[in-house]
Amino acid sequence: MTRRRLAVATAMAGALALSACGANEQPQGDAPASAARGGTLRVLTEGQTVNFDPAKSGSLAITSLGLVHRRLTAWHNKPGEQAVVVPDLADTGKTEDGGKTWTFTLQEGLKFNDGTPITAADVKWGVERSFAPAFSGGLGYHKQLLEGGADYRGPFEGAELKGVEAPDARTIRFHLVRPYGDWPWVVSTPAFAPVPKGKGAEPDYAEHPAASGPYQLAKYQKGVEARLTRNPSWDQRTDQVRAGLPDEVVFQLGQDASVVSQRLTADSGDDKSAFGASFVSAAQLAQLANNPSAKQRVVTSESGALAYLALNTAKAPLDNPKVREAFQYAVDKTSFQIASAGAAALAGETATTLITQGIVGREKFDLFPAPPAGDPEKAKQLLAEAGFPNGLQGLDFLVSKTNNGPEKAQSLQASLARAGIQSNIRTLDGDAYTEESSGAPEAKFDLTLASWQPDFPSANANIQPLFASSEIGGGGYNLSRYRDAEVDRLIGEAQATVDPVEAGKKWAALDKRILKDSPIVPLIYTRNSFLRGSKVANMFIADFPAYPNYLQVGLTP
Amino acid sequence: MSPSPPANGVRSSWTAVRSMLRQDRWALAGALTIALLALVAIGADVLTAIEGQDPYTYRTEALDPATGAPAGPLGGVSGDHWFGVEPLTGRDLFAIVVHGARTSFLIGLAATAVSVLLGVVLGAIAGYLGGAVDKLVTWTADVLLGFPYLVFMIALAAVVPGEVPRPLLLIVVIGFFGWPSIARIVRAQTLTLRNRGFVSAARSLGAGPGHVFRHELLPNLWGPIIVVSTLSIPGKIGTEAALSFLGLGIPPPTPSWGRAISAAIDWVATDPMFLVFPGAALFLATWAFNVLGDGLRDALDPRTAVLR
Repeated sequence: MTRRRLAVATAMAGALALSACGANEQPQGDAPASAARGGTLRVLTEGQTVNFDPAKSGSLAITSLGLVHRRLTAWHNKPGEQAVVVPDLADTGKTEDGGKTWTFTLQEGLKFNDGTPITAADVKWGVERSFAPAFSGGLGYHKQLLEGGADYRGPFEGAELKGVEAPDARTIRFHLVRPYGDWPWVVSTPAFAPVPKGKGAEPDYAEHPAASGPYQLAKYQKGVEARLTRNPSWDQRTDQVRAGLPDEVVFQLGQDASVVSQRLTADSGDDKSAFGASFVSAAQLAQLANNPSAKQRVVTSESGALAYLALNTAKAPLDNPKVREAFQYAVDKTSFQIASAGAAALAGETATTLITQGIVGREKFDLFPAPPAGDPEKAKQLLAEAGFPNGLQGLDFLVSKTNNGPEKAQSLQASLARAGIQSNIRTLDGDAYTEESSGAPEAKFDLTLASWQPDFPSANANIQPLFASSEIGGGGYNLSRYRDAEVDRLIGEAQATVDPVEAGKKWAALDKRILKDSPIVPLIYTRNSFLRGSKVANMFIADFPAYPNYLQVGLTP
Repeated sequence: MSPSPPANGVRSSWTAVRSMLRQDRWALAGALTIALLALVAIGADVLTAIEGQDPYTYRTEALDPATGAPAGPLGGVSGDHWFGVEPLTGRDLFAIVVHGARTSFLIGLAATAVSVLLGVVLGAIAGYLGGAVDKLVTWTADVLLGFPYLVFMIALAAVVPGEVPRPLLLIVVIGFFGWPSIARIVRAQTLTLRNRGFVSAARSLGAGPGHVFRHELLPNLWGPIIVVSTLSIPGKIGTEAALSFLGLGIPPPTPSWGRAISAAIDWVATDPMFLVFPGAALFLATWAFNVLGDGLRDALDPRTAVLR
């Protein structure tokens, strides 16, 4: 289990890192001229590295890794349309035993960039390779689900993974330990990209991977750039999710976020055909508001990750559900929005549910109706009923320094203080925060500010990583230490449901069931804003995920 | 300063300071600024009560609803908010600056007290006893003077458990790294005093080291001590601001100039006043202590005071 929990945590970190890589068409901006084939697209990235090793990547299906690697399935990603799973290398899978065995058929005529055909054996090899300890760290939803995965250590030690079968060149079959309805989503994660059988043993495979997508990695220099050129073997007709418009895509690495913002605002030279992979900060957005040309080029998502205040349900006084309920009313979501992005429209809508917008089955409800600025009187009353007429003192409020965490936490601290809840903010660096918040089964903190973006567009990925008791400690993201046997059982049932509509209903019921216990206070569905140069076209952000679709971006002539 | 030191007609430190303040207008301006800032720091609650604000309450109605920047010109300066408001929160900037003065002065002065205490005791012991003790103290001081203390403090701030009160940690750490410069000057001064007639006389009359230190050395050390400690206060205020700037100082929401300046950097293009007010306050405080310290050195310089 540990390995999977770690994988989930890394996935989250990966998602956060990714946030630095995209720009999108702004909903309120003018429609840009249409994208044409050709040109060099630049992606200004804060990180020092982009990892093109599918086994080690936490990249979403629509961002950087997707330019180079195809997976078995892909995401239908269009603004205003719900995310659904679509064929990529293979079809979207069939199951005949209620979700325990899944069979996928690969398309004909697929080739790697060196011209060798892509076979089911290469996909199987890629999956097996992700189990090797040397190549861990990527999204790992499959690792505990595949039969024999729990103690498998990769193909380089000679053994094959029992749970994956490649009976012929175009058929791949997965045997799972339990029925799992979201398996077609899981095979859209990076580990299901093909790696030529027998290859990829070297640690620097990430710098010369075999490409199946429209681009191949031509040059990689850590901290400087990653240059992608066209993959001659990629056939547009076999690929419905990648447009492959620019001739080259260059990731400029190690760029300072505020410098990126200044360069893209100035919009001169090569920067015209560039976009920033980092979120535009509140201060930068305020600056852009006075610049009509740049303002048009800000691309803001409609929705995004759920930002929430996690309450440690395993520690007094927050082990009392009534006390936790008081937090639902005490929090001022308006001031949190302003602290996040300066204005509600840029920060994202206030959240009242666990399942995020754009996910199949989501039901909108509000168990704790209060004005957006909160209801401190009601909170005080609830605290008094719970036996704390004088409020709560000295709560430990753990905050990560990344992503303006301290500023956002202060707005919560101030709003809690109105209801007589006094807390002390304790800020930690990113890694130390991850260690303390998710490392140990028992946590010292009372409150912590967190954010969760599902790794694939299913309510399962909204709920299970945050509230299943198996995700407590060891890198799991159940920060509230929420433990409820009935909820665990219901999660298992919903996961085993193959029909998406029926599963959606079960997840929606779970959403209410969990929130009734108030393990977290949902704050907002965080909007992300990106900035693009004037020649970058066709950059959009769909409802899920809140990142631009790199696969469709092009340049105007 | 009684008993007044024997021999050679040295003016008492206090007389020297008064005469210096009469003659040196810059030092006088520094002293007045410090007095003013100290009054502001002590009376922060009263001042903000007069303004009708406090540094903690979020006033989002004072912000531009489209961007979260302060509404109105000059960062929202108005009758309600004398220095305007902080972007994204609407907290009153005047309240933040005057309460920040309290943080800066508390940390700056307390850390200086720690440095002076350690520096005087260790410097006097080294100078008076000499030998191995002297070598050990001088060597330690040299090491500490060359130590990359800011890096060390950043590391320390990350490692020390949250239960340790942050203000106390800052005072102890900043104070600890300040003692070597004081110890050096005190040691040098003690070395020259040790062989002077009045010290030898006291010793030959049977006075122990403690007595000699308190009654013979200390009265002659006050001058240099006051000079170095005054000159070291701005550095300590600056160090606190630097640590707060890096997010390692006093935890939020307690106002701090360094943290305000750090936040203001991002806003300098849209709301320069957010940087100007806390920046000016930090500048005034460090400038005032520096010019006063310079004036005091002219009046009490260890190299001239005793010979004068």
